[in-house]
Amino acid sequence: MNFFFDLVIGGLSIGACYALVALAMVIIYKTSEVPNFAQGEMAMISTFVAYSLMNTYNLGFWPTAGITLLFALVLGMILEVAFLRPAKDPSILGLIVITLGAEMILYGLAGWKWGANQNPFPVPFSEYSGISPGGVMITEINLWTFVTSLVLMLLLFLFFRFTKLGVAMKAVQQNHFAAKAMGIPTRRVLSFTWGLSSVTGAVAGMLIAPISTLDPNMMLDPMLKGFAGAVLGGMTSLPGAALGGYLLGLIENFFGGYVSLEFKSVVAFGVIVLILCVKPSGLFVRHFERKV
Amino acid sequence: MKKSLVISVSMVCLVLLAGAFCAVSAAEKVRGVTDTEIIIGQWGPQTGPAALWGAVARGSGVYFDMINEEGGINGRKIKYVLRDDAYQPAKTKAIAKEFVEDIGVFGVACGVGTSPGMAVRDYLMENKVPWVGPATGSRHWTEPFQKYLFALYPRYTDEAYVLTQYATEKLNLKKIGFFYQNDDYGKEGLEGAKKYLDKKGIKLAAEVPVEVTDTDLKSHALKLKESGADAVILWVLPKHAATILGQAKAAGFQPQWIASSTLSDAPLMYKLTKGLWEGVIYANFLDMDNPKVKKYLEAQKKFAANEQNTGVFFIAGFMFVEPMVEGLRRAGKDLNPDTFVKAMETIQHWNDWIGHDCTFTPQDHQGMKSVFLSKCGPQGQALKISDWLTYPEGK
Repeated sequence: MNFFFDLVIGGLSIGACYALVALAMVIIYKTSEVPNFAQGEMAMISTFVAYSLMNTYNLGFWPTAGITLLFALVLGMILEVAFLRPAKDPSILGLIVITLGAEMILYGLAGWKWGANQNPFPVPFSEYSGISPGGVMITEINLWTFVTSLVLMLLLFLFFRFTKLGVAMKAVQQNHFAAKAMGIPTRRVLSFTWGLSSVTGAVAGMLIAPISTLDPNMMLDPMLKGFAGAVLGGMTSLPGAALGGYLLGLIENFFGGYVSLEFKSVVAFGVIVLILCVKPSGLFVRHFERKV
Repeated sequence: MKKSLVISVSMVCLVLLAGAFCAVSAAEKVRGVTDTEIIIGQWGPQTGPAALWGAVARGSGVYFDMINEEGGINGRKIKYVLRDDAYQPAKTKAIAKEFVEDIGVFGVACGVGTSPGMAVRDYLMENKVPWVGPATGSRHWTEPFQKYLFALYPRYTDEAYVLTQYATEKLNLKKIGFFYQNDDYGKEGLEGAKKYLDKKGIKLAAEVPVEVTDTDLKSHALKLKESGADAVILWVLPKHAATILGQAKAAGFQPQWIASSTLSDAPLMYKLTKGLWEGVIYANFLDMDNPKVKKYLEAQKKFAANEQNTGVFFIAGFMFVEPMVEGLRRAGKDLNPDTFVKAMETIQHWNDWIGHDCTFTPQDHQGMKSVFLSKCGPQGQALKISDWLTYPEGK
């Protein structure tokens, strides 16, 4: 029975990371209908910045985390301004290709600056010990992952619900032209969206690196899984995408634990195909049709 | 009528003559060899998931620089061409084509990765490109026999056999789990372990595969834990070795970890696992205590001062080309692929290098069949725990 609960904990903790990546994706998708494929590398670069701050400048973890999130915010905004904004009469496909280009640039940049080697990522909480109610081990890093992701989700919810900027973002998403006419600085709002998404991704990066290793490829797999989670839950809904991430983590772990480890990674993509066939807008989203 | 006959006869003669000329010039000119130069190529992942092993290719470069500085080989200097294939067989293929058709290399040194190497093995052999020391222990280099291919890295099957034997006979651990990468590399290790255990009538406690792209290894760790193994043998990437040790410890599972020689850079693994590597037993194919290593590290300071990774994999780049340089020396001034092969086959029980007992024969191009074992110490230092162990031939 412990095996079952261990799998639940494992699934939830990696699911929390997928959920964060999924959220980061959805934040951008909601405002511009572009799935941002540079998401993973943006998070990876931010995590490397954190690594440098701790290793080269000997900063403590918490100041590092603060500076890193600030860096992530700026990085996201710069990317939007430098890459997406200059696109003339962009089609969605064009923008997607631009994000792919940005992905490659960031990947190359990380390889050049930090090398392709794996690095350990130190955190002030233990990866091996924690609490074990009923013999099921929940490590400190697991706990931190749960708490951080939940808090972040709550903050995002409050932000979109109750702040002026959040509401402005929703307005831009629903009707770009009308929002502009109402005096909302849509361009600034858009680049802030990218910043916010980048911050969410950076948190995911800093939670994934300690349980794996830090290297330029670290976000490749979590990014795809996060994307799959977002599709599963619904690309247009923040809570939906987050739930999708958790669900995918659980599905993966159970599949690996009880069915086959060889096909564990493939399950995520099987799920995408299935969902796109059965309920293309996602499990937790009311079916949405554009009015003509 | 007569005129046309004369013309056609002379045409035929011309063609034959031209053909003969070509043959003559081919005999004189050997691809990649001039009076002053031998061109040698190598691919190796400088980026991508296996970049850690890419240090091999840079090590070889320093060794060639050193040889050139000492005066070269029979009056020729080595011109070394290094290309990054990022561990992607498709890229390796393009590089091999470039080596043969554009650059015109005499031979190929090392080359990291089983799948990248397999993608180009037949192509290189068809073009008679001598290839020495693929930096991987796959048995595809020697089975079936390839005339122009000389393998140095001890075969994974042999290595796994020796490691499993050590675990059961010396450490008395009978429940053995196997954690392997789900491709040729991992599966050959698995095969070697099974070969030994089958003989003893023991079954593996668990066989747990991992895909190269996997990040989350929690369920893998739990599977290993479920099996209740006393020892787990690792045949994976450094990244996955580090992750599984962490995840297993978090799951309260701490068996005796035993690792393949691809994970033999103890200080690096110690750092990467934040200390968990302590106590891990692993195989080695090169002896870092050999006095030559010191000389090589001095050469590194001279020729590649910026090199950050000067551990086992970097030094392995020297080791895998030592017999090649010896072969080039023995081949003498008249160097072509065939004289080179003949010269290589005279290398027998050769120990003037940092490996062990290099022997090539016209029937067997697996040059080295031994590993020795070490244990990772409390500060990540390598503690030697066995002598060279040779795979029991013919058993």
